[in-house]
Amino acid sequence: MKRLGPYVLIALVIVACSWWIVVAQAASDLPKVDLNVNAAGPRPVEDTTEQALQRDYARAWSSMEIALSQNRADVLDADFVGVALDELKDRVNQQQQSGLHTRYVDHGHKLQAVFYSPEGSAVQLRDTVQLEVQYLDGDKVLHSEQRTENYTVVMTAGENRWKVRVLQAAAAQPE
Amino acid sequence: MRIIQYALMLAICWFAAYVARAADVQAPSHAVAGNDVSLPTSGSGNATLFVFGPGTAIKKEVRLGDHVTLPLKRAGRYSAIVNGEQVQFDVAAAAPSDIAFLARPSRVPADRKDVIAGTVFLFDNNHNLVTSPTPVKFDLMVEGGQPQSRHVQSKDGVAYIKLDSGRKAGPAQFVATVGAKSVKRVVEETASDPCNLRIHATPNKDGLTVETDPVKDCAGNPVPDGTIVTITATSPKGRSTVDARIKKGIAKADLPPLQNATVSVAAGVVMGNEIHVGGGM
Repeated sequence: MKRLGPYVLIALVIVACSWWIVVAQAASDLPKVDLNVNAAGPRPVEDTTEQALQRDYARAWSSMEIALSQNRADVLDADFVGVALDELKDRVNQQQQSGLHTRYVDHGHKLQAVFYSPEGSAVQLRDTVQLEVQYLDGDKVLHSEQRTENYTVVMTAGENRWKVRVLQAAAAQPE
Repeated sequence: MRIIQYALMLAICWFAAYVARAADVQAPSHAVAGNDVSLPTSGSGNATLFVFGPGTAIKKEVRLGDHVTLPLKRAGRYSAIVNGEQVQFDVAAAAPSDIAFLARPSRVPADRKDVIAGTVFLFDNNHNLVTSPTPVKFDLMVEGGQPQSRHVQSKDGVAYIKLDSGRKAGPAQFVATVGAKSVKRVVEETASDPCNLRIHATPNKDGLTVETDPVKDCAGNPVPDGTIVTITATSPKGRSTVDARIKKGIAKADLPPLQNATVSVAAGVVMGNEIHVGGGM
């Protein structure tokens, strides 16, 4: 048993390092989100809320991109709720039935908070996102393009994170 | 010369074919969620139409030259693809028919400024956020009190208001109305801090009974039973304090016999009158 001690230690170190690499990789895989909360009201956005919104919105897009490219609705539950969740699940189901996929290459989000409810349970945001979108039928690329999209977003506070409740593409808003 | 003519003709044919192909599917001029959306196509023969959008991924065989009708329930941006050519089109939300109304807080002291907040999110009958400006009416009323009514224009699907609580305590009906649709919430307006807190003392066989007048706030609302009133007696022998709960509008405490004492009353941060008992000043 004494002989095995160093090997167990080395194995533990390797496992810990692998875990750290996986976690770091996952974090760096999140899309870039620049959040501006200066225009939000009537309640000012707290620093911790700002960080949480930025992190959770990035996670939501990451989950959506996985769901639509791999047709996996199961990855959506942690980050979406209500209408947005129903809508994405419908899309994944319809893609699955027809053998279709959507692949995104996310080049970053300019996110602006425009409303934060007085009790702190809901926030409305505007997102301008740079994307490369590929629509696929099986493995065949049907169409691919670079585009700038504008979204109206509503996020609500969940048990341990902010979840996207509304994600609706919108016409460009004047600055 | 003839070679140039042939080349020109070839270029024109190629361009015409390119244009014809590019125009296989066109965007609808106006599309509203919940209604059938008609996509005009051009050309001849059959092709596969793909439509990607919110809640939607459609693969459908179509005959070019026909209008393709699709029932699209979700508002947002769609992409339609035929023969590798894509058009994008927007589907707008329909008229608002569903209101998500957040009213805070559920209990609030009467007669306070800007303490009741109402937030409305506007949705159509397919749960799309209605981002076009829409008038929203907020009403707040306690039975027997002065009603308040405000009109607010929604912005990006949200309308928000802050209102004062009324002078009269009781359950306030807080109503948000959009068109013919109304949603009601109840905000309990309770009496505010006591006002003109007064005590009087009467001797009993063991000492002294100190009792308040009926405890009311400045608007005349009875302060709820259970609210603590602190009665303090200070005499040359020391100081004693009794926390008495309001019961049927009155707080009462029995004190031992006192000589040359001052008895005072307070509730929270509000001080009442003082009385002197047991002779002297």
